[in-house]
Amino acid sequence: MFKKVFLHALLSACLAAIAALLYQRIYFFATETDFSSVLSTGKLIALSILTSTGAALLNHILNRIFKKRGEMVFNFLFSIISFMGVMVPISISLPLAVHSPELFPGLGVPMVFFPAMAWYTVNPLFVKKT
Amino acid sequence: MKKLMLPLVAFLLITGSAFTVWTAQDWKIADGYSVKFDGGDPSGEFTGLKGTISFDPSDLATSKFDATIDVASINTGNGMKNTHAKSEKWFDADKYPTIQFTSSAITKTATGFEAKGTLNMHGVQKEIVIPFTFENNVFKASFTVNRLDYNINTAEPNHGGSVFKVDLSVPVTK
Repeated sequence: MFKKVFLHALLSACLAAIAALLYQRIYFFATETDFSSVLSTGKLIALSILTSTGAALLNHILNRIFKKRGEMVFNFLFSIISFMGVMVPISISLPLAVHSPELFPGLGVPMVFFPAMAWYTVNPLFVKKT
Repeated sequence: MKKLMLPLVAFLLITGSAFTVWTAQDWKIADGYSVKFDGGDPSGEFTGLKGTISFDPSDLATSKFDATIDVASINTGNGMKNTHAKSEKWFDADKYPTIQFTSSAITKTATGFEAKGTLNMHGVQKEIVIPFTFENNVFKASFTVNRLDYNINTAEPNHGGSVFKVDLSVPVTK
């Protein structure tokens, strides 16, 4: 059971990291602001893995507690947590050497949703067939 | 009369040149300066510093500072806080676009120097004393400013702290 959830996490982490890296490049070309010192490639990959692994753990726990309703509760919670995560890039104070901090939420806010989007995208591959 | 003319010109030249020598040296603010403030949260810096500096450690009587900071250059590292800081509620950058310090007297102290003068911020002028050092063509100062003394968001005295530590490091060139 946990092996399947772990694979789910790994695949969605890869997707989320790819999406984040692509979006970072697009944002850089669009705004010519470089936030790589705050969100480096390594950090983006690490954050994607961390979030997806956390989601997998939460999924596993909720499925154990709520059985059939576990998936529904998980989806609801993951969406809520992702939405609350919007506050992180908005409220964070960047190092003073970073220019145009007012443009950082434009980069960070969409990225907050990438792990959830990736999780739901690959979800059909791991859904139990009844 | 002609006999008096030459000595008079000579006297004027000598006193004029002596006065020029005695006048404190003018300095230009070089790149790499920093004007940082720390009130816990928020903390940050101002990046727009201009001014005229006349300073000679051996002739403090003619030394003078006149420095201006562009309020709109405030950077807290957070775009939302920057916007708030410039708003009417805080610095009101549209109405009070600059913070100005003009010295009236500079004196020597045990650890360096002190500049007494007027700080004009948010439309309020207050006499303050700024202790500073001058080594290797760099002015360094550290002092505190209470924003409530300058009527900055007095409605919320506990919002984001009221006393701010200001650290200045200003390299200069001749």
